[in-house]
Amino acid sequence: MLASIPSSRYFRGAYHAYVAAFFVYLAAPLTVVAVFAFNDSLFPAMPWKGATLGWFLGEKSPQLGIFHDTELLESILVSLQVAVCTTVVSLALATCNAFLFERHDFPGKNLLYVLMLTPLVIPGVILGVSVLVFSSSIANWVEETFSYDLEALRPGLVLVVIGQFAFITTIATLVISARLRKFDVSLEEAALNLGASHFDVLRTITLPFLKPALVGAGIVSFLMSFENFNTTLMLVGSDAPLTIAMFDRLREGSTPVLNAVSLLLMAGSGGLAALSIFVRRKDE
Amino acid sequence: MSDPVTTSFDLECRNVRKNFAAFTAVNDVSFQIPQGSFFSILGPSGCGKTTLLRMLAGFQQPDAGDILIKGRSVLDTPPNKRPVNMVFQHLALFPNMTVAENVAYGLRRRKAPRHEIETAVKDMLARVGLPDSGGKRIDQLSGGQKQRIAIARCLVLRPDVLLLDEPLGALDLKLREQMKVELKHLQEKFGTTFVYITHDQSEALVMSDHIAVMNKGRFEQVGTPQELYYQPDTAFVASFVGDSNCWRGTLVSRDSEGAAIRTASGLQFRVEGALENLQQGQEAQVYLRPEAVKIELASASSHGDAGAGRGGENCFSGVVDAVLFDGARSQVQVSLDHSSESISVALPQTPMFHNIGKGQRVLLSWAAGQCSCFPV
Amino acid sequence: MKPQHFKFGLALLLTPILLWLTLLIALPHVDMAMISLRERVSAGTYAFSWSNYTAFFTEPLYWRTFMRTAVMSIMATALTLLIAFPISFYIAKVARGRLRPLLFLLCLVPFWVSELVRTYGWMILLRETGVLSSLLQWLGWVDGPVEMLYQDATIMVGLVYTSMLFMVVPLVSTLDSLDDSLIEAAYDLGASHWRVMRDVVIPHAAPGIVSGCIVVFMLTLGNYLTPTLLGGKDSLWFTEQIYTQFITRFNWEQGSAFGILLLILSSLIVWIGLRLSRQSFTKVMS
Repeated sequence: MLASIPSSRYFRGAYHAYVAAFFVYLAAPLTVVAVFAFNDSLFPAMPWKGATLGWFLGEKSPQLGIFHDTELLESILVSLQVAVCTTVVSLALATCNAFLFERHDFPGKNLLYVLMLTPLVIPGVILGVSVLVFSSSIANWVEETFSYDLEALRPGLVLVVIGQFAFITTIATLVISARLRKFDVSLEEAALNLGASHFDVLRTITLPFLKPALVGAGIVSFLMSFENFNTTLMLVGSDAPLTIAMFDRLREGSTPVLNAVSLLLMAGSGGLAALSIFVRRKDE
Repeated sequence: MSDPVTTSFDLECRNVRKNFAAFTAVNDVSFQIPQGSFFSILGPSGCGKTTLLRMLAGFQQPDAGDILIKGRSVLDTPPNKRPVNMVFQHLALFPNMTVAENVAYGLRRRKAPRHEIETAVKDMLARVGLPDSGGKRIDQLSGGQKQRIAIARCLVLRPDVLLLDEPLGALDLKLREQMKVELKHLQEKFGTTFVYITHDQSEALVMSDHIAVMNKGRFEQVGTPQELYYQPDTAFVASFVGDSNCWRGTLVSRDSEGAAIRTASGLQFRVEGALENLQQGQEAQVYLRPEAVKIELASASSHGDAGAGRGGENCFSGVVDAVLFDGARSQVQVSLDHSSESISVALPQTPMFHNIGKGQRVLLSWAAGQCSCFPV
Repeated sequence: MKPQHFKFGLALLLTPILLWLTLLIALPHVDMAMISLRERVSAGTYAFSWSNYTAFFTEPLYWRTFMRTAVMSIMATALTLLIAFPISFYIAKVARGRLRPLLFLLCLVPFWVSELVRTYGWMILLRETGVLSSLLQWLGWVDGPVEMLYQDATIMVGLVYTSMLFMVVPLVSTLDSLDDSLIEAAYDLGASHWRVMRDVVIPHAAPGIVSGCIVVFMLTLGNYLTPTLLGGKDSLWFTEQIYTQFITRFNWEQGSAFGILLLILSSLIVWIGLRLSRQSFTKVMS
């Protein structure tokens, strides 16, 4: 209960203990992943055999560090490419959608809004599968009709981008719409009134206002794409993004090099998270 | 108003009308504003004054009628090309820009040379009394300073007409009083035509050269503040501008100079003045300003000879019901003898009345010409 | 703004969203539904058939996996709500000053990291040679190594962990919007702690509870990674069946039928949830 409302000491004690236990539960898996990145053992398991940086810097098998593991490094590069493409396309469409839903009225607007939200309730695996099925249908049809193999619609990175874009756009739209809703339209009218053209208004007033949301939505989209597994799994071809590559290693049983990658991932996402919080702070 | 051939008008509206679906927001409004004057549109919220202002600025298109600025129709001119600028209700200062950038915004859009912009901004900031604020962020300014920057941002463009959409609404009372004076000074200093809309009658009365009282999409009366206050044309103007006692009664007799009105509760008094629209036996609405009533203390025993019409003067006795002390604007409510009517009277600021209290007997009188009568 | 400009702008904005929703959401699912309703007669020729759906109902493995996935997802959702509610209440109403944003941030942090990494952490904790097993042995509570992976309880721990964020965020934001004085007023009028919860806090938090539950349920139902890694071969999660049909057996007709069934199940339960709580989808999701 609220601090202003009395409650028994035991209740308060138990409540605080519960909250503390919860945060231990939250922190535990990430902590062990980070710690075992420095274990000088071939397995990411007990016992502790002393500290090493080998899983980062090690140059040859069996202790091949992440900075020399070309397979994993390449998959990071693949993930980066996919994430950048997905982010750019999602942001572009999400910005259009935000203006459409916040600034326009048209018949069927509510229905369209509900449809726009549906990707959030379609399980990722199914979204991936349906995109796979449909793109293959198109590719097959093109091949039969024009005897031309439409490479882009076969499992591969283009399809991964398309599949991720399909649901990340919804999330980006929600973020940008929320900011646009707070925009005071009289600022745009004031700019027009002072002689600005419609393009000037967009450039000097509206977009600067939306910038924090665009940056925030961009970071969220990037991370969601970079870390996506379910949809990607169904659409991936021969080039494996990082999550897929790590999954394959995990199933085979891997050295703590995976812990090292994970630690780098944590640092990267942590940095981006801090950046997005900083952008939001600055804006307030 | 004056003859359009001899006077130059900065702004003119001809039979302007605007509908929203079945609702008529602005209904056949016409007016002319001479150059360099302070013109207010006064009306309750929802009367259509904001719609009218937005049509002047170009954010809405009238369904009928014409709007002329300096004699030229601007209906086909988009808002960013019209020679009018607007101070928005919540000012709409750009939060992502400094004070100087806000003031320079319009000049930049005109692609004026950089050094010209710089001098114009500096000059304008000095003229509104904020010479050192150019580098500040908007949120570092006080309410009154923001106000002045919003006006400076418009005036730097030398508009033909400046539109102001209730810009004082968000300020607290003290600052509002101060800004009224300041706005009037600014207008006189720059000589720009101001069109000011407000629902606050005191703002309109203090600042304006002319006021239009607007109600339900129509102009009820256009005139100087004094005309509106002392010679209201309609019942709405009488009740909306200033405080009034209001009675409803029947016209019981009339003669060459005036008439006698009797209310349902039996109060009878004499009225004089514009009564052309009233016939014998007709229902009328009568308004009387609290400060038009003369008040005298009476001894506890004396029962004043209540009577109407002695030499154009209405005299009544009564008992003080409540004292509403409000400094210079103090009033007493008096219930009149021989009727259930009660009347508000302004309390004179003389020592005699300092200790007036509930139950005090008083004598009231007012000239018959002080009442305004309108047919119901 | 001229009306024709406005129309043109509207069309310009409507085109991309319609393309996106038709080409990437609507048509793929229609296509999947159509494929699920056909049967391969010979190479390259197909005929209409319900056989993929009859196979689902006649093969016990399929529908048992399906039911198991549904029931475990509902359990995971309920468990997540039970665990998250006191935490969200603590963050929104009990914590004061700088502790508040800090705790909220701490809740968010694990979810900036890939689900794969989080699950990997649980594997290191729970496997036979893992941290927890060693800890128990060191404490002398058990004699030999304990295998905690590959059990239903383990899957549940992982699922709840992975879903936590999506419950905490909507709960904190709705609880945050609850005026403290409402709680104080109820208490002042003589309500007990429990009555205050039931009469004031929970009704106010209902939209947050529903939206959290919908998202968590949907994510759990569609999860592949956590059940596969923590449950091993016997995890019997329905998405694994879909994956097997599509990728391993290359039986797209059967896989599509499974996909449609899972979609129907998830929509149905989301719809029932909205109905029971009388919330609207748009309000809950945004």
